[in-house]
Amino acid sequence: MSETPAAPPVPAGPEPGPVSAWLSQQGLGHKLLEPDHFGVEMIGIEPTLLQVVAAALKADGFDYLQCQGGYDEGPGQQLVCFYHLIAMDELVNDGPIVPPEAKPREVRLKVFLPRDGIPSVPSLYGLFRGADWQERETFDMFGISFDGHPHPKRLLMPEDWKGWPLRKDYVQPDFYEMQDAY
Amino acid sequence: MAVNGVTLNPSVTAVRDLRSASCGPVGAPKVTSDLSENIILTSLDDLHNWARLSSLWPLLYGTACCFIEFAALIGSRFDFDRFGLVPRSSPRQADLLIVAGTVTMKMAPALVRLYEQMPEPKYVIAMGACTITGGMFSADSTTAVRGVDKLIPVDLYLPGCPPRPEAIFDAVIKLRKKVGNESVAERSKISQTHRYVTVPHEMKRVEPAVTGAYLRAETQVNALKPSSLVPLEVELKESEPVTSQSVIHADTLSPHTTDS
Repeated sequence: MSETPAAPPVPAGPEPGPVSAWLSQQGLGHKLLEPDHFGVEMIGIEPTLLQVVAAALKADGFDYLQCQGGYDEGPGQQLVCFYHLIAMDELVNDGPIVPPEAKPREVRLKVFLPRDGIPSVPSLYGLFRGADWQERETFDMFGISFDGHPHPKRLLMPEDWKGWPLRKDYVQPDFYEMQDAY
Repeated sequence: MAVNGVTLNPSVTAVRDLRSASCGPVGAPKVTSDLSENIILTSLDDLHNWARLSSLWPLLYGTACCFIEFAALIGSRFDFDRFGLVPRSSPRQADLLIVAGTVTMKMAPALVRLYEQMPEPKYVIAMGACTITGGMFSADSTTAVRGVDKLIPVDLYLPGCPPRPEAIFDAVIKLRKKVGNESVAERSKISQTHRYVTVPHEMKRVEPAVTGAYLRAETQVNALKPSSLVPLEVELKESEPVTSQSVIHADTLSPHTTDS
C-alpha cells in the first residue's frame, strides 16, 4: 500500500503500454501513469468509468483481482484506491504445459479521489466477488465508500469507531486503554 | 533402599514391628497407632488450597501467537495435565484466564465479559509482551490495548514475545504458590468488590450493530453456495444400484437453499 505517488501527467508522458493502447482502441478514457519498479503498467481511471473499464478488462482476459486496496498520498493530498488485475486463465489454459518463466499479464488501475467529503467509487463486487472484504477494509481504513457494495461496513475496527485509521491526518483518540502502559 | 541398615520408606508392617519392639512388654497403644495411620492433621486452608491449586482449569482463550505456545502445552511433549490444568472452553468452568495474545479495542469487551462470567475465585495471567504493555503494538497501533491490566485485574505477568512453554509452566507454578498461600478466612478482606476501572456513564442502549444480516444476505448466500451446475459424483460400488440419491447435487448440500 506504500507505493510512490504517481507523477502528475506531463505532456511528454510515459509510453502507453499494451493495456492502455487497448483501452484507447476501445475508446475508454484513462490517464497514463509511470509503470512501477517491476514494469507493471499503471493506469489512472475516473471513478465514473471504473466499472466500465474493469468489466472491459475482465472480458479481455484480466479475470483475477489480485489485490484491491488504498493509500493516502499525504496530508491534504489525494486518496488513492487501486486495483491490481492479472490474467490467470489464459496463462493456465494456453497450453498443456506452462513454461516456468511465463508471466501473466498484469495491470494496476488507480482511482484518485479528493479527501474532502466522502470519497466514493463504484464497487467491483459484482465483477469480482473477492472484492467483498478488500473493499470493506479499504472503507474501514481510508473512509472510501464503495457504491453498490452489499455490506458497506467496517471490517477490522469496531463498527462504532470514529475516524479512518490509515489516513495520514488521523488523530488517535486518547482512550484510557490506548494510553502508554507505563 | 537401605541406609545403615535402616529402611527408608518402610512398609506398614515394618513400622508396626518397630513400634511394638520399642514400646516394651505392654505393647503399642492401639488407639495412637490407629490415629497416626489413618488421620492426616492439616488445616482447612491447606486442604482447600491444595485442592484448588491442583486443579487450575484455564480458559481456552487465545488471540495471537502466544496461544501457539500455550497450545503446545496441551500436547504430549509438554503435557500440562500433570499440573492439573484441564483446558475448558466455557468460562463458567474455568478459574484461570491466561490472556494469550494481543487484545484489541474490538476484543476488549468480549474479554471483560469472559472474565466476568468466570466464577470466583479466578486468576489471570497476562502472557506475553502485548498483554503486559501492548508490546510492539504500543508504538503506533490504532487499536491495541496497552496492557490488559487496564481491563481486568492481573495476578501474574509472564514476559516474553512469545514466552516459551517452559515459561508458562514457571508462571503456573508461581501461581500455584500464590494460591497455596491464600486463606479462606481472609478471602472477604482480599476480594475486591470493584475490580476494574469503570466510569458511570449515561449512554443509551442501542441495537447491536452485528445482527447476522451479513451472512443471511442474498448476495452472501449465493456467494457461499457451491455451483449448482456441477453435480458431485459419488463413487459407487458396482453392485449398488443407481438410485436418485446416488448423485448428490450441490444444491442439496447448501443449508441456505431452503431460505431462498
